[in-house]
Amino acid sequence: MAGNPACERFVPLLSPYIDGELSPADRVNVERHLGACRDCAGRAADLRAESALLRVGLEMAVDEVDFKDFTQRVMARVTPERPPLLERLRISLSEMFLYHRTAMVSSLATAAVLALVVIPLVMNQNDAPLGYGADRMRVRAVRASEGAKVAPVVLESDDGNTIIWVVDQDTAPAHDGSATEPKAGTPPDEHDELDGEPLKKGPAKPQPPKGGEL
Amino acid sequence: MATDDLTLVKRVRGGDQRAFKLLVERYQRKVYAVALGMLKDKEEAMDVSQEAFVKVYKYLDHFKGDSSFYTWLYRITVNICIDVMRRKGASGGETEEFDESVANDLSEARIGALGSRLGTNPQKSALRRELAEKIQEALAAVPEKHRAILLLREIEGMSYEDLSRTLDIPKGTVMSRLFHARAKVQKILSEYLELDEAKSGVGSE
Repeated sequence: MAGNPACERFVPLLSPYIDGELSPADRVNVERHLGACRDCAGRAADLRAESALLRVGLEMAVDEVDFKDFTQRVMARVTPERPPLLERLRISLSEMFLYHRTAMVSSLATAAVLALVVIPLVMNQNDAPLGYGADRMRVRAVRASEGAKVAPVVLESDDGNTIIWVVDQDTAPAHDGSATEPKAGTPPDEHDELDGEPLKKGPAKPQPPKGGEL
Repeated sequence: MATDDLTLVKRVRGGDQRAFKLLVERYQRKVYAVALGMLKDKEEAMDVSQEAFVKVYKYLDHFKGDSSFYTWLYRITVNICIDVMRRKGASGGETEEFDESVANDLSEARIGALGSRLGTNPQKSALRRELAEKIQEALAAVPEKHRAILLLREIEGMSYEDLSRTLDIPKGTVMSRLFHARAKVQKILSEYLELDEAKSGVGSE
């Protein structure tokens, strides 16, 4: 201890002094002493330097560590077995609202705008003629009953409606369903021998396509 | 705006895993820094840090909420570190505790050695890896309980009140332990810097 007997009293107060933990009265006393004692002023400077040195030194050591997997590893140890799907959905939805409210709101707004644009477009498409006039149809099955002279041609339109053509197969054998794709509205034209007129038209029959079962 | 700790704790109790993830992300670096300062070994420090969070999760129902979450988290961290050190049988540093009463034992450190070389901004003074290692060494020379206080003060900037609550000791003990821990670390670092100056002239003004 350098000369000044007052230092004995002040040295222990220097540590709480640099931490800002002294009472206002003690603080004033310490500052008065520091103004008069070069040794204690040096000690206080040392304490401050040491404090900063420790902090920066430890920060440097922590900066060298990669914390990328840290959270994952902890979470893997604390996560119970997976809850059922519905529960997971509920949780992730509620979390989305909790933590990403802004993002959710803007996503919903975008979705609403999209819906406003897309739904009318789709609705307009529905205005296209159904069944007979639909632009894409394909033959689902061609099957003739035993000994019959007619063969039903089952066509399915895009919207799932089924059209059944019954064609006379008196002179020509029924064409292979898989190989033939008569264009909508013109299937009989491919076969001159046929009547050209379907015997029975059943546009837009709302039964599901079942491989030509009648 | 960050959600405060207690709100997150409530959400975790309600089964919200994501809230716990946020708490881990918030404190992982500091918890690791405390563990590293206590144990010196990087891998051990990493294991202890993870263990601390797992324990916190497991005993979250025991957290009363009358103190802050982080004082509780650090208390658990420090206790695990002390357990690890005791299990290894080497507490690192002196096994005997310093006298809890404040004694004036700063005489051996050369006054002003640290302050004059480093100022209060060691980043400016070309802090080298070697010096960072010296810091670890100096910490290891401090008894474990004193080390814990010093680390929590420097890393987390805990008030004496929080330190007293975290470590369950009176405020006066916090003050005296900090004083002794600092004196010890300061002595080692001053000696190192003087030696360094004599060797290469680095740090001289």
